[in-house]
Amino acid sequence: MSSGASPSAVDQAEPSHRVMQQAAEWYALLSSEDVIDGDRERWRAWLDDDPAHRNAWRRLEAIRRRFEPLQSTPDPRRTSDELLDANKRVNQRRTVLKSLVGTGVLGWAVWHYTQLPLMVSAWQADHHTITGETRRLQLADGSRIWLNTATALQQRFDARMRGLQLLSGEILVETASDPSRPFTVETPDGRLRALGTRFTVRLYPEHTLLAVYEGAVEILTREGAKVTLNAGHQTRFTAATPGISEPADPAREAWIRGVLVAKDITLREMVEELRRYRNGHLGLAPEIESLRVYGSFPLADTDAALDLLAAALPVRIQRTLPWWVSIEAAE
Amino acid sequence: MVANEIPMRDSLAALYSHHHGWLYSWLSHRLGSTPDAADLAHDVFLRLIYKPSPNGFNSFGEARAYLRAMANGLCINLWHRREIEQAWLDTLAARPETVAPSAERQAMVLEALHEVGAMLLDLPAKAARAFILTEACRMTQKEVAEELGVSTRMVRKYIAQAMLRCMQLEARHTAADLLAPESI
Repeated sequence: MSSGASPSAVDQAEPSHRVMQQAAEWYALLSSEDVIDGDRERWRAWLDDDPAHRNAWRRLEAIRRRFEPLQSTPDPRRTSDELLDANKRVNQRRTVLKSLVGTGVLGWAVWHYTQLPLMVSAWQADHHTITGETRRLQLADGSRIWLNTATALQQRFDARMRGLQLLSGEILVETASDPSRPFTVETPDGRLRALGTRFTVRLYPEHTLLAVYEGAVEILTREGAKVTLNAGHQTRFTAATPGISEPADPAREAWIRGVLVAKDITLREMVEELRRYRNGHLGLAPEIESLRVYGSFPLADTDAALDLLAAALPVRIQRTLPWWVSIEAAE
Repeated sequence: MVANEIPMRDSLAALYSHHHGWLYSWLSHRLGSTPDAADLAHDVFLRLIYKPSPNGFNSFGEARAYLRAMANGLCINLWHRREIEQAWLDTLAARPETVAPSAERQAMVLEALHEVGAMLLDLPAKAARAFILTEACRMTQKEVAEELGVSTRMVRKYIAQAMLRCMQLEARHTAADLLAPESI
């Protein structure tokens, strides 16, 4: 090959997929030990046959040239191995992104409100769900845990204690009784001790939301404040303060049945909920943010939930791309 | 598809003044480094000049989502570069007895590593390994087959697969270059 110019300067047109495939197959054959003289002649004929074939071959040569500087490194083998290892590490990070995006369109990883270090640890957690997934776990002691969308949970059970650590998302816990081993849930804001009970714990960037439906839960915040929350109450606590107790909303539990129950909430709150279950962008026009929403919406199919919204409210769903959806005022 | 109306688009200057500070702190948080964050935040706005959002931005939130998506892609590029550079430095450090290559030579190798690394990133692990062993280490397909514990026929398939993927990537980049000069 005499051409040293960049391919884009030389090429007249894109070689088709089929021609590139032929070129790649020729190359694999010609560089193998199985090649025979007849193969080389046939390859020459293929090359002469069509300018597109020569064009594709030029590209192939350009790709081979990229490896040349590596051949003359002090230890090409080690350099190659290190490169593959580096790629592997990057791919592990990308896997985290892809799982969130679903489409695998890397440059378009629209990533809602999540910080990387947290997501990396979430990926390695004992139990986790991806966006849009909910799951039920039966633990060895008989306790039952539901994981809501995009949730990561560590489990540390031993002879003396039953410990969970919530890294992201939301769980509903139904504890089985075991007087000799306390049941605790840890969040960045503090530690919860279950006192025979059913409760949900949800992580927000700034606080933890605890809602108790049966029994009671003791909160010990990071900074040492201690308070007990009884059934029918919820609170948003931080590392510093246990928060203010208010009536718990039973509708908050509906997600374990795959339903979002809206009882006079704003469209904005509704959309914020739906966003947790979707990948990609879900926009909301400011002028319709305060519309009130009532009804039950399926969480497993948020597109259907959006269509239900459009049927019930004066809004329309603008689907620019599958992962770029906005809710606009109906005209 | 999308109606081709003139979108309500903030001028770039307005976008910059509304979002640059936010983007910078978002990136600082992600990367844990303020100089990197400053560079990438700048690159995001540079890209907006070359490749504006197809529909403009209809809201503040949309603009942010778009910027965040772009910034995310750039973060991954940056990690990839860093990983590869670190790997190369490790390789050099591991053989103190050899004469270190010249700075110019090192830059060339690093550039080649970036290109090859990016080309191989999406390939199945065995195909990537087979390809780099034959191309960079000049091993024969038979030697590679023995190392990977597969047939020579399989290695030939890997090579063809890897080469085809690289050619497709290259073709896509060429097309993208025509649209927008890459800033990284």
